[in-house]
Amino acid sequence: MNCKDVARALSEESRLPLQAQDHLRICNRCQELAGLLNSPVPVDPPSPATLRQMAEGMVTDLRPVRPMAPARYFFGAFVAIFVSIVALSVYRMGAFAIAVMTPLETAAIMSALAISTGLLAYSLAHQMVPGSRHRIPPRLLPVAIMILLTIAIAVLFQFQNERNFWGNAWACIRAGTSIGVLAAVPFWLMLRRGAILSPSMTGAATGLLAGLVGTSVLEIHCPNLDAWHILISHLGVAMLCALAGLVIGLAAELNFYAADSPFSANHKET
Amino acid sequence: MANREQADDLLQEAWLRIHRVRHTYRPGEPVLPWIYAIARRVRVDGYRRTRRITLHEIAMEVLPEALACAEIRNPGPTFDTLVSALPEAQREVVSMLKVGGLTLDEVARATSSTVGAVKQKAHRAYERLRKLLQVQAEEGARGAAQ
Repeated sequence: MNCKDVARALSEESRLPLQAQDHLRICNRCQELAGLLNSPVPVDPPSPATLRQMAEGMVTDLRPVRPMAPARYFFGAFVAIFVSIVALSVYRMGAFAIAVMTPLETAAIMSALAISTGLLAYSLAHQMVPGSRHRIPPRLLPVAIMILLTIAIAVLFQFQNERNFWGNAWACIRAGTSIGVLAAVPFWLMLRRGAILSPSMTGAATGLLAGLVGTSVLEIHCPNLDAWHILISHLGVAMLCALAGLVIGLAAELNFYAADSPFSANHKET
Repeated sequence: MANREQADDLLQEAWLRIHRVRHTYRPGEPVLPWIYAIARRVRVDGYRRTRRITLHEIAMEVLPEALACAEIRNPGPTFDTLVSALPEAQREVVSMLKVGGLTLDEVARATSSTVGAVKQKAHRAYERLRKLLQVQAEEGARGAAQ
C-alpha cells in the first residue's frame, strides 16, 4: 500500500484497514496527514445573547407539526399528476402519432419519457426534504435527461427536410408549452409542502417535469416524425419549461438575498 | 466566515429556519444530515447576500484563500489554516467528515450529492493537504538550514 492508497482509504473508511495502518507506521508524510485529520478542532460556543435570540425566535411558534408523508407518497402524487394531465390532453387532442410510429419507436420513446419522468419525480420527492439520500445528483439529472432524450430521438427518427418547418414547430411549441404551464401548477402546489433549499435547482427540475408532460402529449398526438421537428418543437417544450423553472428559481433566490435579514446591510445599519 | 458576529447571525438564522421547516424531518431518518443541509443553505444564502452588499469592501481585504496561503508559511499549521486553503467543496466535505463527525452517507445527504462524489472530493482534499504539508515541511527545513 502506498501514500495514494492511504489517502483513498482515509476518504472511504472511518477506521483504516490494517495494511494502511502498517504503511502509516513507516511513512512520515502519511503520519502527518493522519495526525492533522485527527487533531481536535476548537469550536467556539455561541454567545448567550445569540442563544437567547434563537430561543425567543422559536418560542413564538411552538405548535406541534405533523411530519411530512413518506417520499413514495409524493413520488406517486407527481406521477399521478403527470399521467392525469397527459391522459386528459391526449383525450382532447387525439393520439395520431401512435398510428404512424412503428411499435419499436413507440415503445422506445415512451420508455425514455417514462424513465425520465420517474427519475425526476423521485428526485423532486427527495428534494422536498433536506438531507435526503440522492442516487443521482439533482444538479446533473435535468442535463442527463435532456441528453438521454436527445440521443433517443436522434437514433429513433430520421432527419428530413420538412416544408413549413417553423410553422409546424410553432404550433407544437405553443400547444406543448401551454400544457407544461398547466402541469407546473399542481407540481408547485405539491412542492410547497416541503422545504426547497435550492429554488433554482428545484425550479429547473420542476420545469423539466412539467415540460415533459407537454413533450409526452406531443409525442402521442403529433404525427410528424421528422427528427428535427421532434427535437426542436417537442423536446424544445421540455427545454423551454426547464429554463423557465430555472429562471423563476434564480429570481426567487435573488429576491430572497435582497430581502432584509439579520445579516443584510439594511439590518446592520439600523 | 467573515467574523464572529456574522457567524452568530448565521447560526441564529439556521436554527430559525430549522424550526420553520421542522415538519420536513421524518422520524427515524438521521437528523444530522437534515440539520447540516439546512445550515449549509443558510450559509450559502448568507454568503451571497453579504457578497452582493460588500463586494467592493471585500476586494480591499485579503481573500480567505490568500490568507490561508500566507498563514501556511508560518510554522505549525493547524487544521483550520490548512483546510482553508482547499477549494470550497473539498473544505466543506473535510469539515463535515472530520469536524462534524458525519459519515460519508450523511455528508452525501447533507450536500445533495452521492457517496461516490463525496469520496472523490475527500480523496482529492487529502492529496492536496498532503502536498500542503510537504511544502510546509520543506519550507521549515529550508528555514532551519538558513
